[in-house]
Amino acid sequence: MTGTTTATRELDPLELDKPRVSISKPEHRFDTQGEMPDTERVERAMKSFVRDFGRTAAVYMESCIHCGMCAEACHFYEVTKDPKYTPIWKLEPFKQAYKREYGPFATVYRALNLKPKVTVERLQEWQHLIYDSCTVCGRCSLMCPMGIDIASLVSQARHGMFKAGLVPHELAAVSERAHREGSPLGATPKVFADRCEWLADEHEVEIHIDKPQADVLCAMSSIEIMKYPESVVATARVMKHVGADWTFRLDGYEATNFGLLAGDSATQKELTLKIIHAAVACGAKVVILPECGHAYTALRWMGANMYGKPLPFKVMHIAEFLAEQARAGKLRLRKLGKSATFHDPCQVVRRGGAIEPPREVLQALGVELREMYPTKGTNWCCGGGGGVVAIHRADQLRHKVFKIKMEQIEATGAELPVTTCANCRQTFDDGQAHFKWDKTMHSLLELVADNLIEDEI
Amino acid sequence: MSLLDFARGPALQWSIVIFLIGVLWRLLGVLLLRTRKDLSEPRNAAAWKGLRLIALRSWPRKEFLGGTAFGEVMGYTFHLGFLLALFFFVPHVLFFADIFRGLLGTDLRSLVGFGWPALPNSIVTLLSAISIAALVAVLIHRLVSPVKRLISNFDDYFSWFVTMAPLATGMAAFAHLGGWPYERLLAVHILSAELLLVWFPFGKLMHAFTIFAARGSTGMIFERKGASL
Amino acid sequence: MSSPLLGEFLRSRGVTRRGFLQFCTATASLMGVSSALVPRIAAALEQARRPSVIWLPFQECTGCTESITRAHGSTIESLIFQAISLDYQHTLQAAAGDAAERARESAMKENWGRYLLIVDGSIPTGNPGFSTVAGRDNLSLLQEAARGAAAIIALGSCAAFGGIPGASPNPTGAVAVSDIVKDKPIIKVSGCPPIPVVITGVLTQYLTFGKLPELDALGRPRSFYGQTIHDRCYRRPFYERGQFADSFDDEGARQGWCLYKLGCKGPTTHNACATVKWNAGTSFPIEAGHGCIGCSEPGFWDKGGFYEPLSTGNWGTARTVGTAIGVGAALGVASAALARKRQKDAEGA
Repeated sequence: MTGTTTATRELDPLELDKPRVSISKPEHRFDTQGEMPDTERVERAMKSFVRDFGRTAAVYMESCIHCGMCAEACHFYEVTKDPKYTPIWKLEPFKQAYKREYGPFATVYRALNLKPKVTVERLQEWQHLIYDSCTVCGRCSLMCPMGIDIASLVSQARHGMFKAGLVPHELAAVSERAHREGSPLGATPKVFADRCEWLADEHEVEIHIDKPQADVLCAMSSIEIMKYPESVVATARVMKHVGADWTFRLDGYEATNFGLLAGDSATQKELTLKIIHAAVACGAKVVILPECGHAYTALRWMGANMYGKPLPFKVMHIAEFLAEQARAGKLRLRKLGKSATFHDPCQVVRRGGAIEPPREVLQALGVELREMYPTKGTNWCCGGGGGVVAIHRADQLRHKVFKIKMEQIEATGAELPVTTCANCRQTFDDGQAHFKWDKTMHSLLELVADNLIEDEI
Repeated sequence: MSLLDFARGPALQWSIVIFLIGVLWRLLGVLLLRTRKDLSEPRNAAAWKGLRLIALRSWPRKEFLGGTAFGEVMGYTFHLGFLLALFFFVPHVLFFADIFRGLLGTDLRSLVGFGWPALPNSIVTLLSAISIAALVAVLIHRLVSPVKRLISNFDDYFSWFVTMAPLATGMAAFAHLGGWPYERLLAVHILSAELLLVWFPFGKLMHAFTIFAARGSTGMIFERKGASL
Repeated sequence: MSSPLLGEFLRSRGVTRRGFLQFCTATASLMGVSSALVPRIAAALEQARRPSVIWLPFQECTGCTESITRAHGSTIESLIFQAISLDYQHTLQAAAGDAAERARESAMKENWGRYLLIVDGSIPTGNPGFSTVAGRDNLSLLQEAARGAAAIIALGSCAAFGGIPGASPNPTGAVAVSDIVKDKPIIKVSGCPPIPVVITGVLTQYLTFGKLPELDALGRPRSFYGQTIHDRCYRRPFYERGQFADSFDDEGARQGWCLYKLGCKGPTTHNACATVKWNAGTSFPIEAGHGCIGCSEPGFWDKGGFYEPLSTGNWGTARTVGTAIGVGAALGVASAALARKRQKDAEGA
């Protein structure tokens, strides 16, 4: 355990108008397994990284032909033209480790020392590339002529970085906080419960907490709980509108997973299992994930593998749920009659496969949809995902990337930019403030909730 | 034993042996590694349909075409020219037809006729020249582009060399370059092709095989999720 | 008995001065020397003493003799041939038995150190009894005769390289002259058989300049063996255009297209057939519709079949390929197993 120095204070449940919550410098975290020199630590990190490898990752490691085209797809390269941001370059020390430890010629590589051992210094150099300048958005994976899923390899590389104790401060700290408190941003169960009580009262809406039995378990992200609490209200409103039997559970409400983002597999698993156990405990048939990107990846696609068996419930992103309800005719909505454009959250759309649902919902809202270019699977990342928005030293780089999004949206001439991920939304808000831009990003969920036609009694 | 006899005899034997051993070692050594079953509920159950990525990824999406068109066009130009010259030049057709003689002890001619039709020598010469030009362009790009210069290593340059050598020496032999004795030019050409075979399993040339595994894996994983292909 | 000078001898046979100079010019052209040297050739030949020539036949088929003696009426070539003092030659000599052997011995003794030794056929090194002349084995005869020779002409591919007796499996242990004789100049006039005018050209070169002509890396006179058939073949344009006969007597064959696919070894065969041709310039194998078999090259009997195209290589047997596949697969399985084990161990750690 590490002693954090300052500034992680207990949050007052009613402090709702705070700027983006940040953690000031916690100390470096190192894996504490006795006293050992750096070199051995790195070797253990490499070995544990190798442990994660499977056939697919190995095939990818064998397939790169150094064409460099992945750089053309990456927003960080696009705005800097700095070759070090070439996506596959992020994997360089790990490719070396793979060839030395795990590839078919590993014995020969070691015997003839054809690939040098990775050093701590090299990994420290790489920290910036693997964390600050990668949102794991997967655009590179979509470009690669060899079909290498580079983004998945970066996630795997983060496991090794974590074991070497080389995760950027902020990510390490919030991940540790999530493990300790249940939320990376201070939305402890108590804070969450208190907020819900206050919001229910303020907005005259029923917010169910800890029902012993429910068909639908809803989760929220700490970003929404702390910064966009209207989303909590919106969730409750929509659930009521469609007549769902739903609940929040204090033993499993946090959808974000900083274990996944930092590369801490143990914490990732722990956080995922909380939601799963909570769903099992209340017999939920569906778990609805909030407007969050990596939450979808963590539970929808990685959850069952963490659990060790197929999940006994369906997992849906709130946008998918809304689309399903719209198709079933259960959403009565006022038509907005405005023009809108949709920013595709990478983990939900490109990586997650929920490409059309947000658009179905927008159609139900009666907006004039003007797709930006590129869009859907090839849309540009907002630049804040994968934990990047939390890393302060990356702010300048992220702002450069944000210009791409502004240009895209301006080009559509749409009045309403809409998205369905709170982290993207947070990134847009930060970008808007930085550039004094006149366009504000809207939440799809909140747009729906704000335009529900309720029966007046 | 003359250089040509060596090139057509023991060198050919050994290079084929090394090629086969190396390719199988590397392929099986990778394909037999552990896989974990994905327990998540698929969006699309017929994940095998994702194998279409093998064909699909052969050309970038138009959104990506801006900075990649040069590499794609040069790459295809070289590959097509090389493969056409390799498989449709009369001396090569005869060379390959001979596999059967070695393996089955009988001449391909007596089995199916004389191999397969060939392209006229003038076309093959043109194709080879174009391939060589494309390869040179690709090398220049690798040396000049900051991205490629950063990520390139020995494998990239050596693989380029062993690919260029048979093309260049082949044209030299065909043209009886420099008044050198034809047997020497031919021997050098055959030896350069053997060098290619020997290097093949150990460098990036293996992408000829791994491309199917990589694109196929990603295709199936993404298809299962309904993710963008 | 002293022989008259060559010039006298030719005049005595009715060769005019003009005819003699025409011959010298033609020979100069064949040897590839400047026409400015024609007077020198003429002068040298005029004054040349008819050299003694001993012709030893070993494991041969007599084809070289047949070729060389293809006289058409009284051509100059055949006269030159007769102009040398051929003191021992089985096919052509009148004597036989002991008389022939005594003639050989006395010619060798009288001209010791100066006679020209022509050898055709290969020499067996297996059992000396495989080939004998008058009860004497070839090997010892060659060794003795070589000691007194001024120079040796290894005539035909057998004497030059081992030829057909030396072809696999070489049951007699047949070798070339150069494998036995190491200390005398040897000119290899290879071919199976060599072209008639090539031998006379070589002789003329030797008589004119008194020394060996310029030889290639294999010991053959560069003036006749310096180029490949392919480089001088009249069908070369068809090769360049990729027009090949696919089988004998098909349309391509009848059109006179390139015979590469039918096994022509022209590209790797050095000889003068394409320019000088055979039968006083009548034709040569390719012109007659059959591919060159490469008969002037070493080991041509064992270089893949005559009807197998040149570019063939030895791909290896099913056994070699199968073993390679097996070894590769085994290594692949082993390395994957090793990697999995390392993974398991790391998991335990």
